[in-house]
Amino acid sequence: MQAEPSQISDNDLLKAIARGDEGALADCYDRYRLILFSLILRILHDRHEAEDVLQEVFLQVWRRARDFDESRGRAFTWLVTIARSRALDRLRAGSARARLATGAEQEPRESMGDAAADAVRSEEGEIVRRALAELPAEQRRTLFMAYFEGLTQTEIAARLGDPLGTVKTRMRTGLMKLRELLRDQSRS
Amino acid sequence: MNHFDYQELLSAYALDVIEPGDGQALAEHLVTCAECRDELIALREAGSLLAHASPAAVPGDHVRAQILDKVRAEAVPSKPAQVVQMPQRSKTVWPNLLRIAAAIAFFALLAAVVVLWRERQRDRDLMARQREALTLLNSNAATMIQLSGTPTAPGARATLVFDKESGRAVLMTAGLPTPATDKAYEVWFIPKGRSPMPGKVFSVDSSGHAMITDQMPSEAMNGAVIAITVEPKNGSAAPTGAIYLASPAS
Repeated sequence: MQAEPSQISDNDLLKAIARGDEGALADCYDRYRLILFSLILRILHDRHEAEDVLQEVFLQVWRRARDFDESRGRAFTWLVTIARSRALDRLRAGSARARLATGAEQEPRESMGDAAADAVRSEEGEIVRRALAELPAEQRRTLFMAYFEGLTQTEIAARLGDPLGTVKTRMRTGLMKLRELLRDQSRS
Repeated sequence: MNHFDYQELLSAYALDVIEPGDGQALAEHLVTCAECRDELIALREAGSLLAHASPAAVPGDHVRAQILDKVRAEAVPSKPAQVVQMPQRSKTVWPNLLRIAAAIAFFALLAAVVVLWRERQRDRDLMARQREALTLLNSNAATMIQLSGTPTAPGARATLVFDKESGRAVLMTAGLPTPATDKAYEVWFIPKGRSPMPGKVFSVDSSGHAMITDQMPSEAMNGAVIAITVEPKNGSAAPTGAIYLASPAS
C-alpha cells in the first residue's frame, strides 16, 4: 500500500530533493512514475530495460535536483527530458530487440498498458493526445520519429523518402502547434 | 548563418535531434541571443508534451524500493556552491590614478568600438550591440566600472558601462582565454552584503574579445562588485567556477 503523494508543488518537491529529503524523492517517484515509465517503455519496447532506466532516472534526479531552475521551464519538462535522454542513450547503446521494434510507420497503440494506469492519466495528457490526433498525420509522424526514436531530420527524410525541407517544415509546424496548445492551456 | 536560419534550427535543437555542426553554431548564437533562448525554452516545453503520447504503462512495485535503497546507500548530495569570496584590494593611492586611467580608457574604448564597427559590418547582431554601446558611452548618465584579471587570468581586462536610469549595461572584455567547449563565461552582480546575482552567459571570439549587453539589477546600481567566472555552457544559478575578472570592492 503506497502513501498518497503529498500536495506540494513540483518545484517545491525538487527543492526538497535538492536538500537531501528522501521522502520528497519517494513522493516524486509516486507522482511521476507512470508518465516517465510509459515514455521510457515507448522508446525501448522492453520492460526490463525500461525499469532499469527508470531507476537511473530517479538516481539522476536525486543527484542533480539542485540543477533544476524553475525560470528555465517546468519540472515536468526537466523530468521528462532526463527520462527521454537516458532512454535514447540506452536505445543507441543497445539491444537488437529494441531496435527491431521501432519502425518508420509505427504509431503508439492506445492502451496497451494497465487499465488502472489509464484511469489516472492526467487531464493535461488527455488534452495533448486529442491535439496530437488533430495534427496532420505527416506532422505527427515526424514529431514521433524525432521524439521517440531520436532521429534527426536527415534520418527521417531518408526513412520516409521525403525531401529534407519538407521534414523541417513539418517538425517546425507541429512543434509550434504544440506550443500554442501550451499557451492556450496556461491562459485558461 | 543569418538570424532566420538560427530560428529554423530551434525545433530540431529543442527536440535534441540537431546535427552536430548545426548544434555548435546554434549554441554559440544562443550565448548572445535572448530572443532565441526564450523561444528555445518554449519549444522544449512544447516538445516534452509528446511524452503524453506514450501508451500507459506501470513499472513493477519493486522498482520504488530499489531506487530508495540505492539513494540511501549514497552520500548526501553535496551542498550548493558557497558564496564566492571576492579578492581583497589594498586601499592605497589607487582612487586618483584610477580616475585618470578611466578617462583615458574611456576614449580608447570609444575608438575600439568604432574600429570593431567597421570590421564587422555584416554581423547584424554585433552591430546592434555596438550601436547600443555607443549610445551608452555617449550618455550623461553612464557609469563605468573597470574589471581586472585575477591570478587565474592576469592578462584579462573588462569594462562595464551602464546607464544609471535604465540599468542597460554594456560589457567589453579583452584577453580572456577561449573557454572549454562545455564551458562559458558568466557575469555576476554582487551588491554589498548579498549573494551574487547572475547576469549574461557569454563566450569570446578568437582574439579574446566579447561585447555583450546586459541589464544591471537595481540592487546592484550602487557599489556592487562585478565579477566574471567560468561556468557550464548553459550557465549556473550561482558561481561555481574560477573567477577570471573582478571589479574592486568599494
